[in-house]
Amino acid sequence: MVSAINRIFALAWLTVLDGLRSHALLGLVFLSISAQAGGLLFFDFISRDVGRASSDFIFSISWFSGFLFLFFHAVKVVAWDEDRNVIYNLLARPISRAEYVLGIFFGLALLMLFLNLLLGSLGWLTLVWIKSNVTPEYFGHLSPGFYLLSWAGLFAMELMMLSVILLFSGLIRGSFPVLLISISFYAICSGMPVVRESFSQQAVSDTGSHVSARLLQIMTAVFPDFSRLDFKNLLMSSAQIWPDLTTLLVNFGLTVGYITLSLWFACAVYNRRDLQ
Amino acid sequence: MGSKAHVALNDISFFLGQGKTLGLVGANGAGKSTSICLIMDFIRPDQGIIQVFGKHPQDPEVRLKIGYLPEKTAFPRNLSVLDMLQFVGRTCRMSKSDIAASGEKWLKRLNLWDFRKSLLRTYSKGMQQRASFAIAMIHDPDLLILDEPMSGLDPLGRADIIRLIRELKEKEKTILFCSHLLEDVDRLADDVLILHKGRHLFHGLPSTLCKELGCETFEDAFLNLIEKKESHGFSD
Repeated sequence: MVSAINRIFALAWLTVLDGLRSHALLGLVFLSISAQAGGLLFFDFISRDVGRASSDFIFSISWFSGFLFLFFHAVKVVAWDEDRNVIYNLLARPISRAEYVLGIFFGLALLMLFLNLLLGSLGWLTLVWIKSNVTPEYFGHLSPGFYLLSWAGLFAMELMMLSVILLFSGLIRGSFPVLLISISFYAICSGMPVVRESFSQQAVSDTGSHVSARLLQIMTAVFPDFSRLDFKNLLMSSAQIWPDLTTLLVNFGLTVGYITLSLWFACAVYNRRDLQ
Repeated sequence: MGSKAHVALNDISFFLGQGKTLGLVGANGAGKSTSICLIMDFIRPDQGIIQVFGKHPQDPEVRLKIGYLPEKTAFPRNLSVLDMLQFVGRTCRMSKSDIAASGEKWLKRLNLWDFRKSLLRTYSKGMQQRASFAIAMIHDPDLLILDEPMSGLDPLGRADIIRLIRELKEKEKTILFCSHLLEDVDRLADDVLILHKGRHLFHGLPSTLCKELGCETFEDAFLNLIEKKESHGFSD
C-alpha cells in the first residue's frame, strides 16, 4: 500500500513539474492574473451593488481560468499522452494502470489547487481593496468564511470535471474527441437545472411531464448539478447566514462520491483497454 | 468498428534464458512489436499465456526487473532526464542516494551528464535514445527489452548503442530486442526468433539458419527463408 502511494505521488509530482514548466500554463496564469487585476478598473464602471458585481467578476475569471486549464491543459495531458506514446514510457515502469490514472488525477488536481490558491488570494486582496474604496451601501459584506466556501465549491466543481475528463480519456482515443465530449458534458450539466425546473413546473398539471421530471432528476446522477456547489451568492448576501450543515455535508459528500466513482470507472476502463 | 480484426500473432512460443540475448526479426507487420507490447502488458492477448519471471505481465512487480526502451522515444514535454530518472527510481523503490549514484553513472556513460538539466524535447534523436537507455538502466534490471534500439540513429549513434549492448551482454544481462537491421542482429544476438505475418518461422542460432539454407550471411538466409515460406505457405 505504501509503495503504491509512493508510485502514485511520483507520477503526480512528474505531472506537476511538467505543468509548472509549461509555457501555455504560465501564459494562462499570467492572463488570469491580468484579468483579475482588471477587476480594479471594472468596479469603476459599476454604479450600484459594487460588491456583488466585483465578486461575480472575480469568480467568473477564476472559473474561466479553471475551465481553460481543464479543457486544454488537462485534456492534453491525459489524452495526448497516448498519441505521443508518453504513456508507454510511464507504464513501462512498475506502475499499474489504476496508479497511472490516480497519479495523473492528483498531479493535475495539485496544479489546479495552486492556480486556485493564487487566484483566490489575489481575488481576496482585490475585493478588500475595492471594499475599502467604496461606501458600505455599495459593498456591505465581505466574509472570509463565505469567500473560502465559495472557492471550495468552485474547486470541487473543477475536480468533478477533471475526474470525468479522465474517464472520457479512457473511453475515447485522441485529445480532440475528449475535448468535444467534455465540453458537451459540461454544457449538459449546466443546462440540466433549468430544464429540470421547467419540467417540475409543468409536472403539477401533466402526468407525462411528471415522469420526465423524475427522469431528469435521475439523470442528475450522471450529469451533476453544479449549482449545488455555487456559493458565491452567499458572499454578498445581506443576511450572511451559513447554509445548513447537513446540506453542505450532503453536497460535498455527493461530490466526493461522484469523483470516487468516476475515478473507479476510469481505472476499470484503463485496466481493460489495450494501449494500441 | 468498420474494419475486420486480424490475428496479429499465432502459435508463438519462446523461452529466454538468463544472460541470453534474443533478437526478434521480421518484416513490417511480422508481430515483433506486438510481442513486445504483450510482454510489457501494453496490450492483452485474446488467447494464450505470457509469463515473465514466472508472473503474469499485468503484475506491476514484473516491471521492477525490466528495463524497456520504446521504439519511439516520447517524454512529457517539459521534463529533464533527471526528472525522469527520479520518477523511475522512485517507482522502483530506490533510495535517493541510489538514484543519484546510478543516474550519474549512466548519464556519464552515455555522455548526457552535461545536458542533465536540459529539457528532453530539446535533445536530438540520438540523445533522446541515449536518455531512454539511461532511464531503462537506472534500476539495474535483469531483463532489457529494446524495441528497435537503432532506429533513426546516425552511424555514430548506432555504433554507440551497439557498444552499449555489447557491454551489457558481457555483464550477463538478459536482452530481448527487435530490429530491422539484420546485420546488427547477427552481431549481437545469441539466438534469433524470426517471425513472419504473426507466425514463428525459425528459432535458433543465426549460423544454424545460414547452414540450413546454404547462405553466406544471415541477411541472405532471412530473405531466402521468407521467400520459401511465401511460395510454399505455412503448412510445411
